[in-house]
Amino acid sequence: MRELIKRADGRVTASMLVMGLGQLLYRQWAKGIMYLAVQAGYIIYLVTVGARDLFGFFTLGSVESNPWYGIEGDNSVIMLIMGVLAIIVTVLYILVYISNIKDVYATQKRVEAGGRPKLFREELAELLDAKFYRTVLFVPILGVCVFNILPVVFMILVAFTNYGGDIVPPALVDWVGFENFKKILALGEFAPTFFKILGWNFLWAILSTAINYFGGLSLALLLNKKCVRGKVFWRAFPILAYAIPGFITLLGFKFMFSYGGPINHYITEAGRQAVGFLDLDAKWSARVIGLLVNAWISIPSSMLLATGILSNAEQSQYEAARLDGAGAFQQFRHLTLPFVVFSTTPVLISQFIGNFNNFGIFYFLRGGLYIDGYFLASDTDLLINWLYNLSIDNNYYAIGAAISLIIFIITSVISLAVYVSSPAYRQEETYK
Amino acid sequence: MKKRKPVRLGRTADTAVTYALLLLVAFVFFFPCLWLILASFSSSGSIYSFRGFFPSGYSTESFKKLFFDTAMYDYPKWFGNSLFIATMSCIFGTLLTILTAYCMSRFRFRSRKALMKTTLVLGMFPSFMGMTAVYLLMTQFNFINNHWGLILIYTAGAPLGYMVQKGFFDSIPGSIDEAARLDGATNFQVFCKIHMPLSMPMIVYTALTSFTWPWSDYILPKLLLKTKDKWTVAVGLMSLGETEFSRFAAGSIFIAVPIVILYLCLAKHLISGNVAGAVKE
Amino acid sequence: MTRNITALVAHALIIAVLLTALGVGSLARDDAQGQTKFTGELERNVTLRILENDTAKEKGYFKELLDAFNAAYAEYGIVAVDANMDQYTDLEQDGPYGYGPDVLYQANDALMKYTDGKHIQPLPVEKLECYEQISQQAWDAYTVEYDGEEYVFGVPVNIQGPLLYYRKDLLPEGWQENWDREGDGVPDMVEYWTELYAYSRLLREESGGAKLGYMKSLFDPYFSSGFLFSYGGYVFGEGGTDTGDIGFSAGEARKGARVLRQLASAMNQDCIDDTVTVNAYSMLANGTYFATMTTPDVYTLFIDELAKEYMRTDGLDEADAYARAEENLVAADIPKLPASGDLEDRTGETVESVMMGGINGYAISAYTRAPNAALAFVDFATGYEMISRRNELLGIAPAREDVAEKVGGLSETINADLDAGRIAVMPSTRAVAQIWTPTQTFFSDLAKDPFRLPEEQKYLSLDELQRGLENVDAQIYSAIHTLN
Repeated sequence: MRELIKRADGRVTASMLVMGLGQLLYRQWAKGIMYLAVQAGYIIYLVTVGARDLFGFFTLGSVESNPWYGIEGDNSVIMLIMGVLAIIVTVLYILVYISNIKDVYATQKRVEAGGRPKLFREELAELLDAKFYRTVLFVPILGVCVFNILPVVFMILVAFTNYGGDIVPPALVDWVGFENFKKILALGEFAPTFFKILGWNFLWAILSTAINYFGGLSLALLLNKKCVRGKVFWRAFPILAYAIPGFITLLGFKFMFSYGGPINHYITEAGRQAVGFLDLDAKWSARVIGLLVNAWISIPSSMLLATGILSNAEQSQYEAARLDGAGAFQQFRHLTLPFVVFSTTPVLISQFIGNFNNFGIFYFLRGGLYIDGYFLASDTDLLINWLYNLSIDNNYYAIGAAISLIIFIITSVISLAVYVSSPAYRQEETYK
Repeated sequence: MKKRKPVRLGRTADTAVTYALLLLVAFVFFFPCLWLILASFSSSGSIYSFRGFFPSGYSTESFKKLFFDTAMYDYPKWFGNSLFIATMSCIFGTLLTILTAYCMSRFRFRSRKALMKTTLVLGMFPSFMGMTAVYLLMTQFNFINNHWGLILIYTAGAPLGYMVQKGFFDSIPGSIDEAARLDGATNFQVFCKIHMPLSMPMIVYTALTSFTWPWSDYILPKLLLKTKDKWTVAVGLMSLGETEFSRFAAGSIFIAVPIVILYLCLAKHLISGNVAGAVKE
Repeated sequence: MTRNITALVAHALIIAVLLTALGVGSLARDDAQGQTKFTGELERNVTLRILENDTAKEKGYFKELLDAFNAAYAEYGIVAVDANMDQYTDLEQDGPYGYGPDVLYQANDALMKYTDGKHIQPLPVEKLECYEQISQQAWDAYTVEYDGEEYVFGVPVNIQGPLLYYRKDLLPEGWQENWDREGDGVPDMVEYWTELYAYSRLLREESGGAKLGYMKSLFDPYFSSGFLFSYGGYVFGEGGTDTGDIGFSAGEARKGARVLRQLASAMNQDCIDDTVTVNAYSMLANGTYFATMTTPDVYTLFIDELAKEYMRTDGLDEADAYARAEENLVAADIPKLPASGDLEDRTGETVESVMMGGINGYAISAYTRAPNAALAFVDFATGYEMISRRNELLGIAPAREDVAEKVGGLSETINADLDAGRIAVMPSTRAVAQIWTPTQTFFSDLAKDPFRLPEEQKYLSLDELQRGLENVDAQIYSAIHTLN
């Protein structure tokens, strides 16, 4: 950087002052105009909404609106999110600005070394080859920034405001610092419920991930066997289960296990008392049903996945193994399993996360219960269900955001640690 | 000859066990679906006029109602909406996911590991907490009650699930790339000509999942689509009255149809893509 | 080197100055002056989006209403159309961004939660034709005080209160002799809970459990909390405004809880979850249940199911089947409760049942561009003719007393119930949202109790019931207040 500032010539300075100017001086018209357009675009953005949005982020509004009299005031929440967006736009602008300087400096060095400025055609070709990843990753990263990172940042910020309860637009929201966290820590009922649910949540995530993963893998192996004819046909059954949307499946199973449902119909017909599989006393039976139903929903997709991955296993290795006299089990143990585990550890982790945050299952199967000994939660609720009770149902967005921030920190540290130490992360090159 | 007999017997036993297991699996997965199918042919709207798993009377009334009685519940329209949203999201989402995974697997650049960790962590966030933010954003972009708004969100979210595909690309030997690059192919060509055909099973898997997600999602369309003529099947079905169970069942059956068709069309690609063959060439 | 640093700093400065100047500029705003919206002058050539409930659409009432209104206001170019949204759509979410309907028909607790955010417009209701015809109790459900001034936010259309639905043709033969103590021509089992309880047990015993008397999903607080209210319980103190005072355990509410437990013991386990809510239509039709409790707006659903059943089993044609269904399905007032709170006590004093109810009505979105036209629509829709027609087609109990008087029957009863305080109107505050889960949990616990093994039963004495109810109050209190 220092070297750049020392050695850069007039054209670089021009680009430092106005983006794209240096490139234009090198007669790189297309690129210069593009940088210039970004420069102009950012200024237009600032003039129209950007500056207002950035300031709004700090004030969160000053005029309360009153729709009764048609007074349009400030919407604090919109100001918060647009403020975050303005910050993201500004960061992107700075990145482009830096790349603009680096680019023109690189050209300077090329010319100094006796070359000529690159042609636009050459740069395009580069984008399809050496810098292929930049071309490709640009759109996904932009999308993820706006639709995934922005909401997450928004939510983290909400944890430091008083948004929620009676304070929702048109009322004005304010920054409150760590107030919400203090409130949560001061609440005596909070900690016991939190740890009870956290324990069950981990148990659930581990069990359901294991069941779904090995279930899907065994199913895929079963269907991959040489002796199975009509694979497309047999595989269609799990696909059928996969094809029915999860919430319909859950409603169906809830009904199946309800007092008036078919299972109890046969139980009572046999002269026994109806069983409350999912009612308020049914702690473990409800949990087990949850695991099974989740398996029914998720195994087909992990089967599909395992099938796709198995198709990539090198057949030659199996042939070699067979020649060495390895049995089916040994082949599985020494070839298939390591291979599949290697290529699916990331999947395992994302499945674990998915199950950890599996909102639907107990919401649909056993919603609307508060069990004794739990603070506004039931004994099958996962943290995410509890969060929902606290924040969306009860309207306490800021508190909910604060709690999810705490949960998030705990869970992400754990899963990050697992991921970083997994073979898929450390030895990416094993099979290359 | 004598020696081979036990082997054959063992093989027959193995086949028998395999088929028994297959039958069991088929039953476990098919039975609840069958129940739903039977329910859709029930002559009474209510699910409680069933005897156990079987309706007390059968008719095709609910299918007729589903498709022709559209004054209140315009199922064909919702179906069309869902199909449009899911198809578009599937095309864009698959493209982005595969490309992202390919880059993360094949290129080594500075922020790569950081990106991988970030995406992992992003998934840990409780999604509904972000829903408020997504809703607010969409109001600002004027994308409420607009199918393209949904497609945008699904497409943007799809690459986050690139891990599976990356794992797959990681297991394709690098020697294949090397050979092609020696022949003077650019990275873009390597991807199009070599990896694409090889990763057909993964592309099929990605296409299926990125079709299914928007197809069966309930929460986002419920949040973003306001008027009934814009609704998707999932939102529409959930709005059915409580005495409309057989119509609900019929609608649920038809929801599954496009995914099954998609699977049948793509099934043969799911198990092709032979890496071993490619290396030998 | 200096040159380059200058250029960098200059660039940063330009952007920063631009940003600050524009940003500070945006902070300065002139206070907009508001004005009253209801000038009385109708906006011309506007489209009003009306949100109605699904039943009104299904039965064709809504179309009639729109057609009639559009014909009457054609000269102003005002067109009312179906907003075509979910009937429970949330104005708080849509309105501020311009997506909500202009006029909404919803229940009072749904509508009144919009007032704090000023999402619905206070209305000059005394200008409306229906003003004199609607009772003060109904208006009260839509009235809120802000800064010492009272505002009315909605126009009551119909009163929702629970009714007892029973099958006349399933009454025991010779009930006039054995089940009509006063000889007033009304069967005792639909007049007194004690008798209904006795009859339910009798039916179940005689049939070995194949036939049941009164059935209801007891976990549903909307229907079950009335039993607590009948003995002195309430939702919130100060007429439903003091959310610090939660009264599910107040007075002798425990007696109501005991009644519920006894009722459960005469049913089967289907009363614990929502099974009965969904199957009551077909079970009442096929004669498995004798009676259930529900609101007037689903009357037509019961009739449909029953008529279908008659067509199927007795081979009647459609017209006959409907006539017979309407003849045999009776919707009656809720029976009286024993003062002692014990359903075995068939001879003691009785008290009136108080049930939870609601008042559905119209409100006008504060975001509408045509408030005067919207008010004209509300005036039109709550006029004598439209409300009469609504009653005819939908069987609702109108809040207009003149219509209720004319049609008589149930509508009149419900109006009288409301006037006499036998319908506890759901409080019009946002905190109502917090009462459902705790009460739902308690009621399903209570309903399950008789089906538990004797040593596991939790609610045998009044004290145990009292503790359970106090726990409900405590849960609701913490849901509302701990995090605020």
